[in-house]
Amino acid sequence: MGDGGAVSGFTDLEDDGTTACGCWIYSGSYKDEVNQTARRRPATQQTWVAPEWGWAWPANRRLIYNRASADPEGNPWSERKRYVWWDEEKKAWTGEDVPDFIADRSPSYEPPADATGIDTLAGTDPFIMQGDGVGWLFAPNGLLDGPMPTHYEPQESVIENPLYGQQCNPARTEYRRRDNRYHRAWGDPRFPYAITTYRLTEHHTAGGMSRWLSWLSELQPEMFCEVSPELAHEKGLTNGGWATVGTARGEIECRVLVTERIKPLKLKRRTVHQIGLPYHWGSHGRSTGDAANELISFVADPNVLIQESKALTGNIESGRKSKQRRVVTSGPLGDGNGPARDLPGASARPRASRGVEATGLLGGEP
Amino acid sequence: MAKGFFTDTTVCIGCKACEVACKEWNQLPDDGLIFTGMSYDNTVQLGASTWRHVAFIEQPAATKEDPALGDFSWLMMSDVCKHCQRAGCLEACPTGAIVRTEFDSVYVQPDICNGCGYCISACPFGVIDRREDDGRAWKCTLCYDRLKDGMTPACAKACPTDSIVFGDLDELKEKAGDRVQQLRDGGVEEAYLYGVDEVGQPGTEGLNAFFLLVDEPEVYNLPPDPVVPTKKVGSAWTSAALAAAGVALAAAGAAVMNRGGRG
Repeated sequence: MGDGGAVSGFTDLEDDGTTACGCWIYSGSYKDEVNQTARRRPATQQTWVAPEWGWAWPANRRLIYNRASADPEGNPWSERKRYVWWDEEKKAWTGEDVPDFIADRSPSYEPPADATGIDTLAGTDPFIMQGDGVGWLFAPNGLLDGPMPTHYEPQESVIENPLYGQQCNPARTEYRRRDNRYHRAWGDPRFPYAITTYRLTEHHTAGGMSRWLSWLSELQPEMFCEVSPELAHEKGLTNGGWATVGTARGEIECRVLVTERIKPLKLKRRTVHQIGLPYHWGSHGRSTGDAANELISFVADPNVLIQESKALTGNIESGRKSKQRRVVTSGPLGDGNGPARDLPGASARPRASRGVEATGLLGGEP
Repeated sequence: MAKGFFTDTTVCIGCKACEVACKEWNQLPDDGLIFTGMSYDNTVQLGASTWRHVAFIEQPAATKEDPALGDFSWLMMSDVCKHCQRAGCLEACPTGAIVRTEFDSVYVQPDICNGCGYCISACPFGVIDRREDDGRAWKCTLCYDRLKDGMTPACAKACPTDSIVFGDLDELKEKAGDRVQQLRDGGVEEAYLYGVDEVGQPGTEGLNAFFLLVDEPEVYNLPPDPVVPTKKVGSAWTSAALAAAGVALAAAGAAVMNRGGRG
């Protein structure tokens, strides 16, 4: 605020330049100049909703749309679970949590025909961020698919859709281009494994920021794939060694992490192996590596055109990438690609040398 | 007032925020960008520039904590300098660089350390280490500079699950005891405290940074019965003295017999 103090919530924000705010949902987290998120009052010293344990956006409200915890008349549906209710004497909503409703809107309020904005919400419309004020079990209009949900397999799958006759979402958007070849919808013999990409705690998105930080790069220093011991045995993959993962779009090389956390799936009486790939690497930074997104195809969901290809099919071979062969078309690597790298023992790990000699500043080949 | 850490490994989620917070506050360098293939642990061990280390232990054993995983468990533990009641590094230090602070922590004064390295072999946990490029010994300071200002150590401050709890040692011990009881009541009978007092760990006389574990210490790469080497100094001198006395006695006896033989 103008006097330098913190606002107590987003309702204090003004549009005349007297207040400033970075992100409205977090305003109020320093109410009374106290770090509200650091509060740790024990459960025994406060109500069961525990409003003084940390802080929740917005306005330290623990359940949004909580007016729905009361019936249309404003009384709790269950006395035992009473949460937010209408106080007829005070003409206000009150309760265990911060009410998520227009504070003085009586349950009996009916909007007049010429009402606009927030005034169009009746006293019985809890979902105040929705235009019609009610919750939706499904979207009756506005979506290109639906309205009822079902299960579709992704663009590329190892199996035929076991639940529904339609394999993939019929309303999805495909991009049929030479550089964006799709595999068969299911059971493509060239690409027998299920691949999925995901994140690690240590890196942020494609690593453009976190891979420049030595403190984060040393914690996850190289691109790797995670496979089960069964798949490692089947394909001759060595823990800590190299593998090449390929699809019709491209191939990448990465280190191998063999772990029992990745389980082979039993699907339709057949064993399906999975390959897990973090997607945080790229060509720049202190830690560099191949990008998992080289493997995926462009295919989008019908409504917001978000990629639906985080689950896909592919192949894996032991050894590094080679210009002479493609994982797509050829079998396992022959000799001449070098042995799998030995793992450094705990004692072989280089002592601290301010990180320069041990790694080479630009990463790459260890 | 004695301060310390209670590290409850059962709520560690392996986020490594403690490692990063420690390095950021203490401005420690990275120590190599090396993929180890040991689960998500690319840090491997504590060292001169790594004062917190999160171990990731994957093992083919069911845990009562999470039986849904089947015959598999993934244990995580944030390791740190134990600030032993009887500290091997401190007792071995010939220059007085390593001191016991007013917080009962063990602190290396970098302006006094001459890099002799005696402390390194004297630590039963392999915590303290020498930095190659400056030769001096370094380890966790229990954020001495932060404690001076009434702040919590960086690792405990950054821990999102309160796996690392910092506080007065007496309170920590009480809290830890309650937590063990709570876990046992919930069916996790394996829960126990590692190094909480002298009874459980006579070799160090108890740790100011102790741990709640649910498996054998070796599983977490902790020694089952650590003994500070200087603890043996007394008995070593006694043995040496006895041996010397024995030799002297034998020599005297031989001399007497010799004389007798001549006579």
